[in-house]
Amino acid sequence: MLLFLSPWLFGFVVFTAGPMLLSLYYSFTHYDLISSPRWIGLDNYRYMFGRLTLNGQPNQGDPYFWTSVRNTFWIILVGLPLRIIFAMATAMLLTRPKRGVNGYRTLFFMPSMAPTVGASLVFVYLFNPVTGPINQFLGHLGISGPLWFFDPTWAKPALVVLGLWGIGDAIVLYLAGLLNVPRDLYEAISIEGANAWQRFRYVTFPMLTPVVFFTLIIGIIDGFQYFDQAYVSATTTGNGVGDPQNSLLFYSVWLYEQAFTYFHMGYASAMAWILFVATMVLTAILLLTSRRWVHYGGGLS
Amino acid sequence: MRRIRLLMLGALVALLTAAGCGGGSSNSSSGPQPSSKIDKTPVTIVLWDMWSGREAQPFKDALKRFQVKYPWITIKEEVQPNGNTDTFDPNLVNAINGGNPPDVAMPFGPDYVGQYCAGGLWEDLSPFMKADGLSINDFAPAAITYTNVSGKQCALPSLTDAFGLYYNKDMFAKAGISSPPKTMDELMADAKKLTVRNPDGSIKVAGFVPLDNWEQLGPGDLANAWGAKWFDSSGKPQFAEDPGWASAFMWQRQLIDWYGYDNITKFYAANTNNEFNPSNAFENGKVAMMFDGEWRTAFIADDKHPPLNYDTAPFPAGPGHPEQYGPARVGGTIVGIPKGAKHPEQAWLLVKFLASDTTYLVQMANTVNNVPTTPASQSSPDLKLPPQFTTFLHVWANPKSSFAPPTTPSGNGYGNLVDNFDGQWQAGKISDADLHSALVKLDQQVANELAQGSGP
Repeated sequence: MLLFLSPWLFGFVVFTAGPMLLSLYYSFTHYDLISSPRWIGLDNYRYMFGRLTLNGQPNQGDPYFWTSVRNTFWIILVGLPLRIIFAMATAMLLTRPKRGVNGYRTLFFMPSMAPTVGASLVFVYLFNPVTGPINQFLGHLGISGPLWFFDPTWAKPALVVLGLWGIGDAIVLYLAGLLNVPRDLYEAISIEGANAWQRFRYVTFPMLTPVVFFTLIIGIIDGFQYFDQAYVSATTTGNGVGDPQNSLLFYSVWLYEQAFTYFHMGYASAMAWILFVATMVLTAILLLTSRRWVHYGGGLS
Repeated sequence: MRRIRLLMLGALVALLTAAGCGGGSSNSSSGPQPSSKIDKTPVTIVLWDMWSGREAQPFKDALKRFQVKYPWITIKEEVQPNGNTDTFDPNLVNAINGGNPPDVAMPFGPDYVGQYCAGGLWEDLSPFMKADGLSINDFAPAAITYTNVSGKQCALPSLTDAFGLYYNKDMFAKAGISSPPKTMDELMADAKKLTVRNPDGSIKVAGFVPLDNWEQLGPGDLANAWGAKWFDSSGKPQFAEDPGWASAFMWQRQLIDWYGYDNITKFYAANTNNEFNPSNAFENGKVAMMFDGEWRTAFIADDKHPPLNYDTAPFPAGPGHPEQYGPARVGGTIVGIPKGAKHPEQAWLLVKFLASDTTYLVQMANTVNNVPTTPASQSSPDLKLPPQFTTFLHVWANPKSSFAPPTTPSGNGYGNLVDNFDGQWQAGKISDADLHSALVKLDQQVANELAQGSGP
């Protein structure tokens, strides 16, 4: 038994458990990759929350920790609901056509096959305030488009659009969920005289809740790790990481900067652990509340 | 007979083993030998560098001379992916920590030299230099500002970048300006005169783009015009204390306000991605003046663009600071020997070659147009550089030129905090009245960051 497990076990110990425990240790040390780690207790966590006294001097701590937390919650709270609504609505539309169904489904799935980095580069080009086609189109309509990736107010919304463009994977899940809703439920509710909204409210949505739940949890985990799009778009605009004006400084981006620009490996490990704990807590809360609203057709609950 | 032969074989094996395993330590205990006395056993050394694209072949060609000079040393050149500055140094640190570093490292910039020297990640070259009679003073006064940290000379310059003002002579003539600006007031006045707007008010030609991150411009380059210090002698940040910073930021704001922040940001957005391609704004007459590095002379010569009648000059000085006309930011490629290099003695020969071989430096300067770093190479009759290049030779030789943001034992990543500040400032997120208190806060942020870097 152990023999069959051993490839996985080896991978788990060497590539997952080992590094995790090591990073937990690093989070209590001053470690700059250069000299060997030095035990400093909770100082990294104190620096994070601005409660540190270093060498007798009060240290206000990490200037951008809370900025990165706020940005991350923004992208989750705005981006994720939109993503779920759009994926569900698109999937419902995709169940309608009688002909060319597969063609439409392929069309909507295609964007999610584009690599994130490439897609981000294209979006930066599309959203260029002067040379980009989007603002040029808006210009023809007499609208002066915003500065998008050059304006802190519009940079995150542009990334939300990028996220909505690539929801093919979620659409496929919702489509599978929709096609699994038993016909007889619709027949029953139609006999009761339900309108379209009531059909959705009392049949479609409850039957889809397991998919919603899944996309919610995956979406939150992805949101906490939001990196590629932000990093690529901020650096290809010719600005620095996190620009414009720190509006794209997400938690993972700042963590990466701490680790690989500033070489604060100990502090970055502490940030990674806070991220891990936050993800676990949120997932646990969702799991606990899920009993109230997630409906498993299989009859487990 | 047979026995004797076996004995001799045994002795030979013992000797070889001793040479192979203990060679490094026995050599270092007796100190490095002058290069002429070095052992000539064939050996392969690994060089990490970043020469890619149009600069890859000239570098390979220039390296051939080393092979001729030291035929028993083979160089295995490993160009780090895409010459990517973001990954070269972290990869190098990992290789050093993993015990498998290259023998010679050659990053394009000295941004991590603080960690390399202070952390002992790169070997101190002083013993080698002493043995070969080479001194950091043989380069230029600015060289020490980015190769020596905490008293350790762990790197040497090998060609460098120097920065100055490029200006379009035809546009100057058309606007009736006879000479390049020497003061920041003149720069502002000329920038306004040279700017051309479209009927809708947007910018067609910008006189001078004062935004942070526009091509090579950073807040430190503007502040240098007022001679602003980054740190005092005790290492305390001086953004609030040194009035030069506030003057530079106010100058920047005044010009941005004149353009309109939205206007100039749109201009920036339309052109910023063309910094290193033939559509470059300066090369195509879309900006009249810009702060840039010496390599632009090569780009202008190589790129396909309309004929460009241009010249260069030192960047202007702030009013009341005539002494700042001349010195500017410098700093470029460095070479050194990572800790744990397998063949430090041979690596030194390559480091010395890359840093001080006149023919090598001249050949590279002629092909990639970077500033040659030794006085001998600068005065070489073989140096074939465009006349506009002279400005940069002078900037490099100026005793007050230096690398910025200054290196510290915990690096110069704090420069990002200053850039972040400037990003907020230029967008008008901080009012004139709040500038001082914001700079006090910036002082604290940088001090906190450096304290966190060095730890308790």
